[in-house]
Amino acid sequence: MKPTFALIRTSAGTSPVAIALGVAILAGLFLFPNFVQSPYALHIMILFFLSTIQGEAWNIIGGYTGQYSVGHAAYFGAGAYTTMILMQYKQIPPWYGMLAGIGVALVVSLIIGSICFRLRGPYFVLASIAVAEIMRLSAMNLKDITNGAEGILITEIPVFKIGETIVTDFLSKVPFYYIGLVIALITILVTWMVQNSKLGYYFQAIREDQDAAHSLGISLPIYKNIALALSAIFTSLSGSFYAVYIGFIDPPTVLALDISVQIVLICIIGGIGTIWGPVIGAMVLVPLSEALRSNLIAQMIFKTGLTSEESGIGTFLKENLAHAHALIYGILVVVVILFMPDGILGWVKKLTAKKGRG
Amino acid sequence: MATILEIKHVSKFFGGLAANSDVSFSLDEGMIMGLIGPNGAGKTTLFNCITGYYPPSRGEVIFKEQKISGLEPDRVCRLGMVRTWQKVRPLAKLSVIDNVMVGALCRTNSLKTARELAMEQLKVVRMDNKPNFLAGGLPIGERKKLEVARALATQPQLLLLDEVMGGLNPAESDEIIQLILEIKKSGGITQMVIEHDMKAIMRISDRIVVINSGEKLAEGTPQEIVNNPEVIRAYLGDFHA
Ligand SMILES: Nc1ncnc2c1ncn2[C@@H]1O[C@H](COP(=O)(O)OP(=O)(O)OP(=O)(O)O)[C@@H](O)[C@H]1O
Ligand SMILES: [Mg+2]
Repeated sequence: MKPTFALIRTSAGTSPVAIALGVAILAGLFLFPNFVQSPYALHIMILFFLSTIQGEAWNIIGGYTGQYSVGHAAYFGAGAYTTMILMQYKQIPPWYGMLAGIGVALVVSLIIGSICFRLRGPYFVLASIAVAEIMRLSAMNLKDITNGAEGILITEIPVFKIGETIVTDFLSKVPFYYIGLVIALITILVTWMVQNSKLGYYFQAIREDQDAAHSLGISLPIYKNIALALSAIFTSLSGSFYAVYIGFIDPPTVLALDISVQIVLICIIGGIGTIWGPVIGAMVLVPLSEALRSNLIAQMIFKTGLTSEESGIGTFLKENLAHAHALIYGILVVVVILFMPDGILGWVKKLTAKKGRG
Repeated sequence: MATILEIKHVSKFFGGLAANSDVSFSLDEGMIMGLIGPNGAGKTTLFNCITGYYPPSRGEVIFKEQKISGLEPDRVCRLGMVRTWQKVRPLAKLSVIDNVMVGALCRTNSLKTARELAMEQLKVVRMDNKPNFLAGGLPIGERKKLEVARALATQPQLLLLDEVMGGLNPAESDEIIQLILEIKKSGGITQMVIEHDMKAIMRISDRIVVINSGEKLAEGTPQEIVNNPEVIRAYLGDFHA
């Protein structure tokens, strides 16, 4: 007999403690900018929201429906480019551009879906990569529309007004913090709604066994395309948000393969096919990548006295660790896949279940 | 008795191999049709052709007076015909009740209604005591019953059972036999049953079709089938091979 925790699916009952904790965290998130003024802290939080949105969005098609797209940069780029092109060249404010971006991403998702969903397993993965690469090369070469390799730089974000009242002029990070937070919450809410509906059941049935699902009345093309479309909508939103926040896009920063891979990693590390997995993945990956970028890890190693900044190894670490992004991610993924096949969330659940029995 | 399913000259080729070749027969409403034949005779292939898993290479299938060959399995299921899989296909990471709910959602959009329907079907197969177990962790006997419950939850008029007793012990097989007879008695569901256990198939079937090397060898009542010299030869030949 396998241990019972693996056999019984506990329906996550919402205890009063959990609700209270949720409300407290939510209040904390909304009040955060009132207490923390550090732009860097706000920046990290905004990146965290962005990764959460991306992870939750991918989770719908990859985690729930089991179709491992490694081409989500296509939708991220579609949102980013549509918003930026409309804003910079047509003076259309980004909140409309964002909606247009969703439209473009939906069209792209339908094209990708109708081509790629004929394929299964590894072939689907390869096809999804190929389509995203086609989009990257197009953005590179359609210079008249996308400004090619030079990319698009925002010169000015229009002021957001309701009537005559100025809501925000986007000069600080605070408005971006709240926009990111709200989109992230909406994405989580939508995932929750999907999970607790017919869609969620059908998506998971397709993930578990396509042929069984098909024989039980589930149209594979229809439901896979719905999942991909939902996923594309929120990935595109994250792209629009990223573009306006950073203020600059070019093909390598919004359409490259690493974006697609990074999005998948958020879910794999946090826990695939669960509501909170991507949130946890984002919580781990964002600080990690920031620490790598700012050489925090090398600094920490020096502080512990393992090696000094002047020694050969020290210089090597200082110069190379910041660029070892891919390597460290790779190691992390291997560790997670080997020791936590259900991601950090699944691992923690298993631990607590074991404790609960013992 | 009205005809519910008509199989007309169905052939299925895999490269040069004729897994089904010019098979024709029909099912009356409410009956249990037994489908037997040696290993590799083409029984599962025939189920696959009927349910749209792949289209027949030749011939056609008529269900409730509508041509269904060429339709996708999901359409066929929604029209009222569902099959179980010889090699069971549980939705492993979903619970038992969720597996059955996926079937029930074929007829409703409400999770609440689907859950009630699913619970009823679990009662029918006597698995209502473990709705929250993960399907992937069930022993083979219960996986087979889960296949049946999930298929029943789609509220079919025609149920195709592919070796639901395969790999079960005598007690479990007996339970399945009772289940098939109960489904018949409750009315409204026609069944076609593939089974290797001769005693079981003779007991439950109203009529039997024998398939050998892709071709229909014989058709008749269980009595007629046991006395058919060709059938005996096919099975003895198979036995000696
Ligand atoms: N997808 C396929 N591609 C190629 N050959 C196939 C395929 N499916 C079945 N066959 C072949 O068709 C023949 C009939 O197979 P089928 O599974 O229908 O037999 P069966 O009567 O169900 O046998 P069993 O009693 O062992 O389940 C076999 O020779 C098998 O190898
Ligand atoms: Mg078979």
